[in-house]
Amino acid sequence: MKFDDVQPGVWPELIYPAYKSTVKRGPLQPALRIDARVPVSRNIDPAPRILLPHDTDLTRRGEKAPLGEKIVVTGRVVDEDGKPVRNSLIEVWQANSAGRYWHQRDNHDAPLDPNFFGFGKMMTDDDGRYRFVSIKPGPYPWKNHDKAWRPAHIHFSLFGNVYAQRLVTQMYFPSDPLFPYDPIFNSIPDEAARQRLIARFSLDHTVGDEMLGYEFDIVLRGRGATPFGL
Amino acid sequence: MSNTDYQITTSQTIGPFSHEGWQWAVDFCAPARLETSAPTVVVHGVLYDGDGNPIDDAQIEAWLPEAAAVEASQEIPGFRRTPTGKAGEFSLRLSMPERPAGEPAAYVTVFARGLTKHQFTAVFLEDDATLAQSAILAQVPAERRDTLVARKDGDGRYRWDIWMQTDKETVFFDYR
Repeated sequence: MKFDDVQPGVWPELIYPAYKSTVKRGPLQPALRIDARVPVSRNIDPAPRILLPHDTDLTRRGEKAPLGEKIVVTGRVVDEDGKPVRNSLIEVWQANSAGRYWHQRDNHDAPLDPNFFGFGKMMTDDDGRYRFVSIKPGPYPWKNHDKAWRPAHIHFSLFGNVYAQRLVTQMYFPSDPLFPYDPIFNSIPDEAARQRLIARFSLDHTVGDEMLGYEFDIVLRGRGATPFGL
Repeated sequence: MSNTDYQITTSQTIGPFSHEGWQWAVDFCAPARLETSAPTVVVHGVLYDGDGNPIDDAQIEAWLPEAAAVEASQEIPGFRRTPTGKAGEFSLRLSMPERPAGEPAAYVTVFARGLTKHQFTAVFLEDDATLAQSAILAQVPAERRDTLVARKDGDGRYRWDIWMQTDKETVFFDYR
């Protein structure tokens, strides 16, 4: 596999002063473009036993149904040539419907839901598709600046089929009024790249009276078909 | 979203709340659970920000492709993940099977709150006799190679600090 240069503005700025924590944490030197055979040709190979019951249904981890708006999120993971990224691990984590994480450092004054923990994992199928059921997360304050509230989002961690495809990103929801005020979202200079992080409401994937559907396709880096249809 | 022209999906920070969601893999590759038929070493260090303050809410992953075969009983062979501790510290127990000359001891990925994109790097051991043959190190400016080399500080132990900034800034990679 081969990794083309990323167009300017597509990656977020590593130093983006409006997002305060970047100032001392983002590297100052540009990443060194190198050739390395292994990172673009091999990857982790998790055993199927890592997947547990309810890993793809975040609403079934508690004794009762969690509070909030039940949703289903699905999409395809492909590479820059549109080839499916198959049998590849995805992790998701998120806040509950009140905008609070099941995390000891989250002291936001919003209720913890004893029936919602907010994390799951899955593998893509042969078509690169993933699907999980969850609760729409709420926005939450994060103290970065005055009236700093994050738009509702779900974190995604993707491993891809080769190490160099590794990606962590966030999926946002359509028409969120907080987009213009969020430095994390706006650390991405390219407007089109920002828009690609917004899921699409999907009536096709909506399940009857049970839950609304969202579709979020993910494109990982990497060009050039690997032999044997990986 | 319908991304039919296959433009890449961009990166976002893990934020401060990744720990519960990422913990399952930390548990699966914990040193106490590691079954390996190869000798092991420990690479440990601290992740520092531009002021020299430890970064205590990061996640460090290590990938050892050559170790997968000697760790076949593991849930994710050749893979490690650990959050940094209160003092920014991390520790990785690595299998050291035979591997091609000049390959790093591990490919390492750094994630953190305030880091808008994860950073790829790699760690080499100072007493690896094949360092001079490393195709990766050969592409790194000579004056920065030291940032990728862990120094022996005990029996089977090596110290490797990761610096996000300053004149000690670790070399981070973008792969072609």
